[in-house]
Amino acid sequence: MTLAQVESSRIDWEGALVERARAGDTRAFERLYREHAGRVYGLCLRMTREPHLAEDCTQETFINAWRALAQFETRSSLGTWLHRIAVNVTLGKRRKAGREEPLPEGEIEEEGFEPHWTLETPVEVREIEDAIGALPTGARDALVLHALYGYSHTEAAQMLGLAEGTCKAQLHRARKLLRERLNVEVG
Amino acid sequence: MTEQGRKGVIRSLGELPQGIEPEADLWPQIEAQIAGRAQAAPAETTPVSRAASGTRLRWLAAAAMVGCVAVGVWIGHSASLGGAAAPPLAGAGHPGAGALQTAWVADPRYQRQHAELMRSLGDQVAALPPASRAKVMASLTTIREAKHNLEEALGKDPGNALLQELLVNTYQDEMRVLTDVREASDAGKGI
Repeated sequence: MTLAQVESSRIDWEGALVERARAGDTRAFERLYREHAGRVYGLCLRMTREPHLAEDCTQETFINAWRALAQFETRSSLGTWLHRIAVNVTLGKRRKAGREEPLPEGEIEEEGFEPHWTLETPVEVREIEDAIGALPTGARDALVLHALYGYSHTEAAQMLGLAEGTCKAQLHRARKLLRERLNVEVG
Repeated sequence: MTEQGRKGVIRSLGELPQGIEPEADLWPQIEAQIAGRAQAAPAETTPVSRAASGTRLRWLAAAAMVGCVAVGVWIGHSASLGGAAAPPLAGAGHPGAGALQTAWVADPRYQRQHAELMRSLGDQVAALPPASRAKVMASLTTIREAKHNLEEALGKDPGNALLQELLVNTYQDEMRVLTDVREASDAGKGI
């Protein structure tokens, strides 16, 4: 069985689990949670940089998902849908805490279309995670969604509630700051 | 992740692991939060009102239908892969075949209760109003189709934990319908 076939089979089962969860089956929903918790928590942790806050966001994401399961379209990706909820929850908590940062000015330079964000020389995971964590929140959000989780500029901008140009500007800023912090060319 | 990534060194941000497991298991708190809504799902076996009982049967039929659809999708997918057919499920005699399901079915309490309910099912269903009788028969047919499909799928993939769980859920669904029928029959009312 190829990887794509395994993935396709998994998605079939995911659809069945979603249907059971919609019918009120919490055990089916727990299976979905077990399947997706790591990716949701990973995103929340990278956006918040605070483990306890990330745990709160993850919990709220799954609670909101349970309540909104009826609106989920099974032909779309559950992982992406959960990520959308997670981003909304995280941004909401940030707004409540007054931690929003102003959008960057004078840097609306469009980011080049480089999907891989390759590093000129290998860098330790811990070092790069720290460098990402030290980025300003707006630049970090855009970078995490685009470079780590593979969302397109359009998708990342929609999730963050930004204009696409602004999202690209944040990515440009993130790339520039990473280069400076890591002292490595980020291609 | 590449060999370098596994060693803690990466050459692309895309190699960073997407999933990070939270230190604590967050499920218990999530479950506690959603439990209020989940209670609406009719899983109890205590006597309930006529309306609630009807809702329960509709839910059970829907759950079993989901089982059928899920297995249908899975079987279709397996067939499309052109994989070799595995031997059919032979219950406890099949090595490793559905341990969870085997344990459930082999439980003497289940066997006793199931046999007892099945013995009186014919008379009890006959005593129900025609509309209720039709609903019960439709639910049982759907549940049995789900059981059959799941057992067949387990024959091809005996170690599949999800299939085992779905099958046990379907056995439980069947027991709930049988119990409902007996309660309705004892109370002299429809479902």
